[in-house]
Amino acid sequence: MADIKGYNMPDDLYYHEEHSWARVEGTKVTVGMTDFFQKEAGDIVFVDLPEEEEEVEQGEVCGKIQSRKWIGKLVAPVSGEIVEVNEELEEDTSLINSDPYGKGWILVIEASDLDSELENLMQGEALVSFLEEEIRKAEEEKAKA
Amino acid sequence: MPLIWRLFKNVTTPLSTAEGLAVDDTLPQSVEYHQSPPILHLYTFVPSVIVGKYQDIEAALKLDRCRARGIEYNRRSTGGGTVIMGPEIVALGLGINVDYPGLKKGVGGIFESMSRVLIAALEKLGIQAYFQPKNDLEVGGKKIAGLSAASEAGRSLLFHTSLLVDFDVGLMTDIMNTPLIKLRDKGYNCFSERMTTVRDEVGRHVPVATVMEAIHQAFEEEFHIEFEEEEPDRWEKKTIQHFIDERYTKQDWIFSHKHPRARMGVGRVKSKAGLLEIYLSLSGASIENLLITGDFFSTAEDIHKIENALKWTSARRERIEENLASVWREDMIYGLDLSTLTEAILKAKENQVRL
Repeated sequence: MADIKGYNMPDDLYYHEEHSWARVEGTKVTVGMTDFFQKEAGDIVFVDLPEEEEEVEQGEVCGKIQSRKWIGKLVAPVSGEIVEVNEELEEDTSLINSDPYGKGWILVIEASDLDSELENLMQGEALVSFLEEEIRKAEEEKAKA
Repeated sequence: MPLIWRLFKNVTTPLSTAEGLAVDDTLPQSVEYHQSPPILHLYTFVPSVIVGKYQDIEAALKLDRCRARGIEYNRRSTGGGTVIMGPEIVALGLGINVDYPGLKKGVGGIFESMSRVLIAALEKLGIQAYFQPKNDLEVGGKKIAGLSAASEAGRSLLFHTSLLVDFDVGLMTDIMNTPLIKLRDKGYNCFSERMTTVRDEVGRHVPVATVMEAIHQAFEEEFHIEFEEEEPDRWEKKTIQHFIDERYTKQDWIFSHKHPRARMGVGRVKSKAGLLEIYLSLSGASIENLLITGDFFSTAEDIHKIENALKWTSARRERIEENLASVWREDMIYGLDLSTLTEAILKAKENQVRL
């Protein structure tokens, strides 16, 4: 199920509706933006990253992402302390486009309330339904144009 | 009955950069947190220059020239590059929920929706403009308006446009810090060949108020709404003042260091088609701007199309190749092949120096 209508959405990740993903390893959660996001947004030209040691809440805007002349939001999929940011993005933001689930990771959160918060994120059928609806809306609008 | 949107309109008095930008930042806040319908803000600025949120202002502008000429400078909250503003340039801010019916979805969709309105507005003035993906409106290969946006408050976004009614290229070349400007007359021509104005297109002076009225009507027709012209209410005035005090008059904001490193480079290649010169502005690992000049044969429209395909994209070789291939057709630049153009751009990248 990693492929949903042409978008790579790996099974082992959790997804937030603002298009960030979370990879859970113990209490450490690596965060990035999905393949759907990067394809919709186009070339990412700047990422405004938070500082390490900042506390974030699930659903809170913790960074900004610029693609072309658009500035979008990076939303924290879980609450906790930011313990690492991907400094390679300072030199090459296109990693988010070329390798969104690998070298294009954005930050790591030491999660504070993982068990309950993972229930708010999507996987499996819920993810498929959500993404299909997002794709349907985008296609419907394109058809109207 | 049509839905009502709100219109904040300043026709007679140009606003300071702090006030104009603070009003704009308040628009999505009011839509998201103050139960406001979408708000359109149409206005002009005092003579000024405004950089994008993540631009290096000291690299982008000759600040001493701005000060000497009494040109205000500031930083907006939306993306993109430097824009010159003034009493003959219509500034537009729109606060709207991304889920608003009729607004196309996604980053590209929203820019297309807004460009459709502006194209309709220009048509009312007798100008045939078209959307040059992904962020510009053009007339005959020349830019007449630039579009930018930011997701500012929950599901609401701020959309910005500047529409050139009349424009002083000389001022632009004097205060903007690009290597091209060192070429003086050639630099002047480079910009005048790539930009146009309402005045140039219709061949006479058109009052700013007429242009604003055309935009106002185009929005009503496109979204099947009616505007009510209003002043910001008390909550909004307080929010505007907050943005003036905490953002647009703060040196920390105007001289923010949250931006990629700015670099510039020149690439020259002698080819069968003639001398090819590429002026490249880099923002971190992305192309912020590039100008293709030389003594080859081409049209302004084709050159602008090629340049546009690379602006605000990755400067990695493979992305440059992909983006060029997406617009390239044979003899776009007479006698020049795609690989020579690519090499010239990469040479400019290799020659980059920090500003």
